[in-house]
Amino acid sequence: MFRFFSNVWGNFKEYIVLVVLLIIGLITLSLNQKPAAKKVKSLAFGSFAAFTSVISNVFNVAGVRSENEELRKLNADLMLQVSELRKYGIENSELKGLLALKDTTRYPLIPAAIVSKSLSKSQSTFTLNAGKRNGVLPGMPVINDHGLVGIVNSTSDDFSIVRTLKNLDLKLTVKDERSRVDGIMKWDGSDLVMIDIPKTYDIEPGDRIITSELSSIVDIPIPIGIVLGLSKVETGIFNEVKIKPFVDFIRTEHVFVIGIVENKIQDGLQLNFYKRNKPESYK
Amino acid sequence: MRSEYIWSILLFFPVLIIQTTVVPLITVNGITPDLILILLVFYSMRSGQLYGTVLGSIYGFLFDLITGSLLGSTMISKTLAGFIAGYFSNENKREIYFKSYIFVLIVLLCSVVDLVINSFFSSVDLNTNLFRLIFEQGILPGVYTSALSVFVILFYPKRSIN
Repeated sequence: MFRFFSNVWGNFKEYIVLVVLLIIGLITLSLNQKPAAKKVKSLAFGSFAAFTSVISNVFNVAGVRSENEELRKLNADLMLQVSELRKYGIENSELKGLLALKDTTRYPLIPAAIVSKSLSKSQSTFTLNAGKRNGVLPGMPVINDHGLVGIVNSTSDDFSIVRTLKNLDLKLTVKDERSRVDGIMKWDGSDLVMIDIPKTYDIEPGDRIITSELSSIVDIPIPIGIVLGLSKVETGIFNEVKIKPFVDFIRTEHVFVIGIVENKIQDGLQLNFYKRNKPESYK
Repeated sequence: MRSEYIWSILLFFPVLIIQTTVVPLITVNGITPDLILILLVFYSMRSGQLYGTVLGSIYGFLFDLITGSLLGSTMISKTLAGFIAGYFSNENKREIYFKSYIFVLIVLLCSVVDLVINSFFSSVDLNTNLFRLIFEQGILPGVYTSALSVFVILFYPKRSIN
């Protein structure tokens, strides 16, 4: 018997090890949602991010001069816009007073730098140098000056991992800013798309897409992208709307985390998936 | 344990730092080369199929753990990539492989297998066009990875063939 097994092992050990490791891999896949696995993950990326932040700082310093130049130009543009908006603001508060509407809320912004990027066609993630100590929690939206970058997925004390919009596991409720049509947006591996949009809905190329107030993750209007075109127009009853994101995920280096999930939890909003302790399975 | 085995594990960490900090700067239209795969193919061809399979599994597990990917997806794809690369581990031909374009072709094969399997775990749904998936998520990044693997041929130490 021993000789038999010895012979089998001698002849097929590579295949046996392969099968065993593949089975271990499949078991590991099923452990993704376990809290213990998440803890180990946050410990691992937290330790590793400490090293990558040093390297990424070196690269960031090199780009600071050109970025400063661009920021000065942006500042000048924004200054002009601010003076314009101030005028609208005064009018707006007067009109709101007349209509007895509550004032809009200001959201806390937590600044962070991207210390590493894992860019793949299906599961792009960023590591930020801000974590629990900075007030970052899973589920918080991450933005830059162009729009929504992604959602915080997990955090350690000093670092956090963000699922970018180019991640298959992230699905968001979005809306067409012009026609107010809502839909589910996801990354299909090559494009950002709004899926299952009835053909009768009014969506046109060039429309701006923003996050919808119906979303249980991001319920404030944050720009996402612009409609490139409709696909599956000829077949079926639904269209698929292709979106070009405003954010350049390759060049983005600095972001802001909007601290709004904590407020929701404090407010006891039951609709938020994070209230149900399911941070991995949001839609 | 031979020192070579320890080195292959230790080298993973600096390569992963480069993969997550420097490689995004050379990404072309969302197509990213995979330096970890080149390292895996190199060690698998040097140390054999069994070692390559185990090393692929370790690399994949660490990658998933550190980058926040779906735990187990890269582990499975890299295990298979290490197994395939180890198939070309022939003591008599090893030096020839490392000094010729054959190494690039082996990296291309392993990279395509790695990427396609990885994308199967994450991208495939009922609407997925299989050929488009293989081309966009397998062949294009695979070609980029294999093009970078030319540096292994260029910098591989010149030794006499046994």
